[in-house]
Amino acid sequence: MATSSDRSEPSSRPRAWPRVLLAVGRIALGLIFLFAAYSKLYFGGAWHMRDYHFFFAMAIDSYKMLPLSIVEWMARILPWFELLLGVLLIAGAGLRWVGSITSALLLVFIGAMARAKILGLEINCGCFGNNEKLGTVTLIRDSSLLVLALAVTIGAFLIKRRRVTVSS
Amino acid sequence: MKPLPISRIGIFLFVVAIVSMTGALSHAQTNTSKNAVPKAAATPGSTKPAATKTPASLAKPASAVTGSMDAKALGSKTAPITIEVFEDFQCPACRNFYETSLKQVIDNYVTPGKVYLIHRDFPLDMHPYSHQAARLANAAADLGQFETVERALFDNQDKWSANGKIEEAIASTVSAAQMKKILDYQAAHINDINASIERDRAMGAQRNVSQTPSIYVTSRGKTEALPGGGVDYKLLKQYLDYLLRQ
Repeated sequence: MATSSDRSEPSSRPRAWPRVLLAVGRIALGLIFLFAAYSKLYFGGAWHMRDYHFFFAMAIDSYKMLPLSIVEWMARILPWFELLLGVLLIAGAGLRWVGSITSALLLVFIGAMARAKILGLEINCGCFGNNEKLGTVTLIRDSSLLVLALAVTIGAFLIKRRRVTVSS
Repeated sequence: MKPLPISRIGIFLFVVAIVSMTGALSHAQTNTSKNAVPKAAATPGSTKPAATKTPASLAKPASAVTGSMDAKALGSKTAPITIEVFEDFQCPACRNFYETSLKQVIDNYVTPGKVYLIHRDFPLDMHPYSHQAARLANAAADLGQFETVERALFDNQDKWSANGKIEEAIASTVSAAQMKKILDYQAAHINDINASIERDRAMGAQRNVSQTPSIYVTSRGKTEALPGGGVDYKLLKQYLDYLLRQ
């Protein structure tokens, strides 16, 4: 006689390909974040470990959103934070929370970019290096990154939920 | 209980990943081919004064090389830092950068000999009076009046941008005789002046300048581009002080 666990086995066995796609999504996002961090630390043909924050602070300040003290703090921290997020995404560690933080960060970036665009500020994006002008293309690109980050986050939550359901 | 739609999420993820990667790649492509070089303008038109025979009094000063680094620069050439600013006299962001940052840089770094400040002309075709203003500034530069005329142009940008009366704006800060000299000099050396402006624009194009102001800082033989569109004085000061401490 079949037990209830026997009956449920065929439908509850996790398929491999959603996990593969989730891995592709998070690794793609992680690589993009690594590139974002790299482009803030390496530009003009050289590494700028000691002075990167001057350039990035100028880029952040051009958005005219934050007081200088916060701008300077953000300029020092953000590239390293992006690097950390990139590494964690690629490693797949704490994916639900890393994905949530990444999505929130991208949402803030897109909000700032949209505000600058609405105000007609002719500034650089500051997303991938210092010399990329803010425009519709940069907004669309970052929005697609947000969608990817949201998809990774939702996927990570769903897979976790399914795993909990199956084990219980 | 209804099974979770993980397969749908998977498809969604895959599509989005492709879209995002395409976006990132197109970004990289944009960056490498970012030579959205402003086309060198043909000598702008209707307001151009006709070239005339140069009277002896309007001959170039012995030291003047139209559009030379010296003519449109402030400070000492031996200063440890050189700042080059690609500017359009009619661009509001340039005016803002000049009024809020450059004036303080001139007072606190150029005058004490710490910074050599070079103006590079980058008149944008979208501004109808930029070329005319640049020509007058170049003529004034050759006559040793660049700082005065640059200040007059930016201080009064609102007025002459609206009505095109650039000469009036400059005349408010120089004597009538000096103004006449600038106009006569411009007329006599118009070809040299236009060539000088085009040289600056070509230099900007070579450096991928796509907006004004674009700022380049050179220290110890190394040139860095600052984020375009102008920089807050306090941040610029921090960077200059850091370079001076090196």
